[in-house]
Amino acid sequence: MSRPILDIEKIAIAFGGLKAVQDFTLRLPTGGLYGLIGPNGAGKTTVFNLLTGVYTPQAGTIAVDGTRVEGTRPHEIAAQGLSRTFQNIRLFGLLSVVDNVMLGCHVRGRHGLAGTILHSPRHVAQERAMRRRAMELLSLFDLASAAGEQAKNLSYGDQRRVEICRALATEPKVLLLDEPAAGMNPQEKKELQALIRSLRDRFGVSILLIEHDMGVVMDICERITVLDYGETIAEGTPTEIQRNPKVIEAYLGTEAA
Amino acid sequence: MSPVSKLDEQAALVMPDRGRAALNALVTGLACIAAALLVHFVVGSMVGPFVTRIMLDAGVMIILAVSLNIVNGFTGQFSIGHAGFMAVGAYVAAGITYYSSLALFGSYQAQTGLISVGSLIFAASALVGGLAAAGAGWVVGLPSLRLRGDYLAIVTLGFGEIVRVLLQQSNPQLFSWDETRAASLKELVPPPLGGAQGFQSIPTYTSLFWVALFVAITLVFCFRLKRSSEGRAMLSIREDEIAAQAMGVNITNLKVRAFMFASFFAGVGGALYAHQLGTALRPTDAGFARSFEILIAVVLGGLGSISGAALAAVLLTVASALMIELGPWRMVLYALALILIMIFRPGGLFGVKEAWEVFGGLWRRKAVAR
Repeated sequence: MSRPILDIEKIAIAFGGLKAVQDFTLRLPTGGLYGLIGPNGAGKTTVFNLLTGVYTPQAGTIAVDGTRVEGTRPHEIAAQGLSRTFQNIRLFGLLSVVDNVMLGCHVRGRHGLAGTILHSPRHVAQERAMRRRAMELLSLFDLASAAGEQAKNLSYGDQRRVEICRALATEPKVLLLDEPAAGMNPQEKKELQALIRSLRDRFGVSILLIEHDMGVVMDICERITVLDYGETIAEGTPTEIQRNPKVIEAYLGTEAA
Repeated sequence: MSPVSKLDEQAALVMPDRGRAALNALVTGLACIAAALLVHFVVGSMVGPFVTRIMLDAGVMIILAVSLNIVNGFTGQFSIGHAGFMAVGAYVAAGITYYSSLALFGSYQAQTGLISVGSLIFAASALVGGLAAAGAGWVVGLPSLRLRGDYLAIVTLGFGEIVRVLLQQSNPQLFSWDETRAASLKELVPPPLGGAQGFQSIPTYTSLFWVALFVAITLVFCFRLKRSSEGRAMLSIREDEIAAQAMGVNITNLKVRAFMFASFFAGVGGALYAHQLGTALRPTDAGFARSFEILIAVVLGGLGSISGAALAAVLLTVASALMIELGPWRMVLYALALILIMIFRPGGLFGVKEAWEVFGGLWRRKAVAR
């Protein structure tokens, strides 16, 4: 088996006495589409925050395409090719939609003060390229017509898709999606599923997603990891997970309880 | 294969011609100089000394407000020590022109003519003052920009006070070159910048030309910054630090940069202020009152709006000049106006947008309604 694009080995973090995540291990192969599920408060978003450098893991290692990233700063991790969306949408509300996506291109650009102020050819070309790329991405998501709008004025579903655009603009190797279907209606969810699948084919990006909607997860994920109280209680294909008694217990409780 | 190409590949396709870019930069530079000459000779000849004075003050205020906007408006930090950086620039530049005038021309009188050796020394001293202020910005910014909101405000406030106290401890001013040459080390360290008595007789090189030129340079700098990738990254910090970091923005680095840019222009503004007719620099120039005036212009214009900050700077300068006869009532009216504006337009005149974006939007909306 070739080297996984995202290799997480036994990462852990505790906040005071609360062990938020313990011994979390996951190997995402190149082109993989994996899921992370668990009841509320299980530590799913904490795992994402550990991966993206918001928190530093107290133990364990994280490697993106063979480069160790644990303990480095968030922007360095983004530069290594790990990008994400947020559970509670974090767009730059007052900036236009196209500016939001262009900001994603920032990490791949080269910036010099003289070039910026004197409009050097390289700077001008880079700005044009950023705008073009951003518009290309927005067109793929049918958002081109909203490009000039302030991001905060978009509908919830559109904001989620702009966030995905912005994340893709960083040219990621791995994309982390935190509850992409939250707040969407069934029709939107269906479209989202098709969209997520197409991301992998169009952008060659590997995806790890957190999702509460079991329909979505079971339908698109190749393998699923289940967290409960910070511990991994199951790992396997959707069918295996659906039959796993521990998972059923975590979600529904035992009969005795 | 992905249909969306990488940034580098795409940039290579749209690279503009080198000669054209050079021409563009040259035209921009000449336009700034032409505008400054126009203001100096055409507008300057039409107005009297009172209006000229207001224009000079307004120009300096534009530079100060627009530069503070880089920190408070773009990156969303809260600095209230801008006058400290302005004072650093003012004293450094004034020290250079004053003592070099004594040494070279034997007098602190400014040389006449728009372009003279003295005025070139002045222009250079303004840049040196700006650099000194930027250096101070770096020293203050590096450790403190990890702090947020109120804490940063306290640090910057403290910086202004430190500058004020240090300036008070400077040695008495020396009034001739002979005196300066004969001075002992003790009279020169700390530098002879007048201490609490103030620094006087600074050569009066500040003219409409230089003010207009530096205003133009500041505006070009800020507009180009705002519309660049770096500028967007600064605005993203203001909007959401966590998201900005996750998208690869080095927020600490950019905050320090923003702080240094702002300090640089504050220093230049200070230099222009120092070389005005009748100015005696005082340590209190670094104090809170002046910082607050600049802050008000930025908030009034709309945090993040360059044209807003510039317009508010002009409005405030003109208003305070017109109300000068009202004496202390001026401050009451001033405060009242601010309260009203904050009630009816809490985002400032233009919010984060530029004037033409606001009015362009209104116009478009009306057209749609029709």
